[in-house]
Amino acid sequence: MTAQEVRLCGLLLREHFGEVVEKVGTHLLRSGAQNLRTIIHETGLPLDLVKKSLCVLVQHGACNFRSGRKGPGCPTEYQASGDRILRILRYPRYIYTAKTLYGDTGELIIEELLQRGHMTMSSTVKTVADRLTQNMEGQGRSMDYSEVTSAFSKLVETQFLQRCPPMGGARNTKDSGSPPTPSTPATPGTPASTALLTPESFPDCYKVPHITLIGRGKRRHSSDDGEDQKSAKKAKMDPETHGDEGIYWQVNFERFHLHFRDQAVISAVANKLDQTCSEIVRTMLRMSEVTTSPSATCTKPLSANEIFRSLPASYNILRPILDQYLTLLVDDPMEFVGKAGESGGGMFVVNLHRALANLARATLESAVQERFGSRSARIFRLLLRKRHLEQKQVEDFAMIPAKEAKDMLYTLLSQNLVQLQEIPKTPDYAPSRTFYLYTVNQLPTARMLLQNCYKTVANLIERRLFETKESKRLLEKSQRIEAILASLQVSGAEPEQLTEVEEMITAPEKQQLESLRLHINKLDSAENQVDETMFLLEAYVSSTATSTA
Amino acid sequence: MDGWRSHDTVLQRCVHKLDIGQSNDRQTVDISLLWLWLLLTCRAAILKAVQLFVVFFFFIFVYHRIRELCQQFPHGITDQVIQNDMPHLEPQQRAAAINKLLSLGQLDLLRNSSGLLYRMKDAQSASKMKGSDNQEKLVYQIIEDAGNKGIWSRDIRFKSNLPLTEINKILKNLESKKLIKAVKSVAASKKKVYMLYNLQPDRSVTGGAWYSDQDFESEFVEVLNQQCFKFLQTKADMSRDSKQSPMVQRNSSFATSHEVWKYICELGISKVDLSMDDIETILNTLIYDGKVEMTVIAAKEGTVGSVDGQMKLYRGVNPVIQPTGLVKTPCGLCPVFDDCHEGGEISPSNCIYMTEWLDF
Repeated sequence: MTAQEVRLCGLLLREHFGEVVEKVGTHLLRSGAQNLRTIIHETGLPLDLVKKSLCVLVQHGACNFRSGRKGPGCPTEYQASGDRILRILRYPRYIYTAKTLYGDTGELIIEELLQRGHMTMSSTVKTVADRLTQNMEGQGRSMDYSEVTSAFSKLVETQFLQRCPPMGGARNTKDSGSPPTPSTPATPGTPASTALLTPESFPDCYKVPHITLIGRGKRRHSSDDGEDQKSAKKAKMDPETHGDEGIYWQVNFERFHLHFRDQAVISAVANKLDQTCSEIVRTMLRMSEVTTSPSATCTKPLSANEIFRSLPASYNILRPILDQYLTLLVDDPMEFVGKAGESGGGMFVVNLHRALANLARATLESAVQERFGSRSARIFRLLLRKRHLEQKQVEDFAMIPAKEAKDMLYTLLSQNLVQLQEIPKTPDYAPSRTFYLYTVNQLPTARMLLQNCYKTVANLIERRLFETKESKRLLEKSQRIEAILASLQVSGAEPEQLTEVEEMITAPEKQQLESLRLHINKLDSAENQVDETMFLLEAYVSSTATSTA
Repeated sequence: MDGWRSHDTVLQRCVHKLDIGQSNDRQTVDISLLWLWLLLTCRAAILKAVQLFVVFFFFIFVYHRIRELCQQFPHGITDQVIQNDMPHLEPQQRAAAINKLLSLGQLDLLRNSSGLLYRMKDAQSASKMKGSDNQEKLVYQIIEDAGNKGIWSRDIRFKSNLPLTEINKILKNLESKKLIKAVKSVAASKKKVYMLYNLQPDRSVTGGAWYSDQDFESEFVEVLNQQCFKFLQTKADMSRDSKQSPMVQRNSSFATSHEVWKYICELGISKVDLSMDDIETILNTLIYDGKVEMTVIAAKEGTVGSVDGQMKLYRGVNPVIQPTGLVKTPCGLCPVFDDCHEGGEISPSNCIYMTEWLDF
């Protein structure tokens, strides 16, 4: 974990779980695995607070625990996982994706699971159905549990949700907040509860248990009658088992990331070529969704015949046209699609890792272009393309006057976007007898940019916190007034009274609130945009790590 | 220089011997009675005349033959070539002929790895160099050898071993005679290179079409860059709107470098004549801008715009991604990004860039 990542993690924890959890979390991130006693000693927090915050972290998978390294009998150690904490930043995107794919129900299921870390299926279904019912209040309808259940099963089927690894009872004791039992029985997968669960190690990972849950969602404050019914039902149902006790579910972030990656590739194809090409690539990716392993460099080969059959009929693409499009895709220098063979009308693959590398390169180029201007970007691209060049060659190829080119090259060099390689003709490294070659190393540069992204997001969050702190008084006031207004409306007050209360916020204050709202929105959307860059770069870095390993 | 001179004298000595030998040879010529009578009457005088005559014509013949050979082989001929061409000629005669030509200043004697080489001197330069001393000739020779790339005065000094002051004097002298000229190089503005007066300086010296008076014309390059892109872009747009099959669409969006060149020429934005290579350099900058793609295809020999049976095709392309999210924030463009820390002089809370961006 770099300092930037820890800072960002701290900010995210503070925002979502408060200052105490932040303190414990960042402490764990900085100092690695530690036992409870050391944490209490080093953070100086009271025992119960530390325990509670550890519970929160474990509940969200942001922290895992294992029996001590010094053998059986020594205290359990806790380790925070920074990657999981950084996922918090992407929550809006997960929720939005679930909404576009599975509608409101999917959105709420993912939202509930993200907010609570992990839940059993039955409780998720109940909560979601209740919330949906509450939203439908105006229409007087209610949500059936079975509908939510089927949405949940669909999410599991497409592997967006997965079971939490079995914990051998240790988790239950954690959840209730009791002191951790030393030396938890070692079950497979315990050391990394947030790691991707491969179906091989957990055969039931994506198996939906049969739950017995019949009924409809209930409104919480609909009426006294409903309240009665609810409590009655609750009393009746609570002792009842739904058949899925002890099976907890969590969001499969990796699956979402694969989806994001596919989307990035598809939109890149749409930008570069055209809509039809992107639809063909989308079809190819969808066909190989299940058969291709998450870390594969390219999808399993698909024949042109198969692709043709799987294309949605609404696109109306004829077979010869499809062949032409596929040739176009293969010929394209970005190499999104590659040809793997000639059988079956040509076998085609989507080069996932190469596409990621190309997208990351485009990201770097765009970062240079926006920050240093298009001419510097020209030099940057030139170096990416030609690998090693001398200063004179850079000037000639880029057609930029020597003086300016030198300036740009040195600026890029000082920002570590361009590297300098010395090749001496004699062992004394005399400048007159040394070649100075400029080059761009894509992977380290991408890593650096990723760190910049972390810092940027942290800056944006800090700014947002600062902005809200600045107008704290105003916000509180407006909230109070809104509360008064709501209560007045319920009690059926006179319209004059309402306007009187409303006028308690003066016009300039209103304006200030409005601008604050704008600022916060802008900062929020900027955070999400930077997160997209972060995602691309992270995917690229991890893909090169797996392909070289 | 000294080497050559000593060689000259040796050859001249050879020629003397040759002359005597020749006169003996020619005594067996068939002659008429009248000639016999004349011979008898004023034998000595006629003998001398005939001798001179024969020698003269012989020289004319050999001289012409060598000149032809030199023209045939502009890089120079060796002794062996002359020998193969005129096998009846004896070594001494050959030497005499060459010696004469050398002394007349019409032939150059060069030395290479395989031996001596003879080369015809420019008739013009030979006449120009009249009245110059050997040092001047030497400097001229060095400058001539440098060709249209030119040579720096310091390099002349190294090659000639003459003192710098002397060289400067000679250079001034030659310049005033309009035998050589000084050209300012674009590589280093203070550096003057010398070359023969009638030569067109090399591109590496003048910088080609992109320089005027040693200044790189970046505006000109930018304008050409934009125009080329506009041309390719319209072509790509047109092909996209044509609603043809995808392959045809792609292929019709390509333009050869020759087409671009013709377009630029017809636009008339350039005062200087641009070559195809110039346009290709411009198109390459577009590739580095990420706006254009290039492919090379095989072309039929003799097709317009093909070079060595290859044709370069260019087409405008769309960017793969929109500006990335990072650079849409002020931090992505911040010049003091590395100095920014919470609680510091520069911090996200008091950042002026962020304030401006938020109020925008």
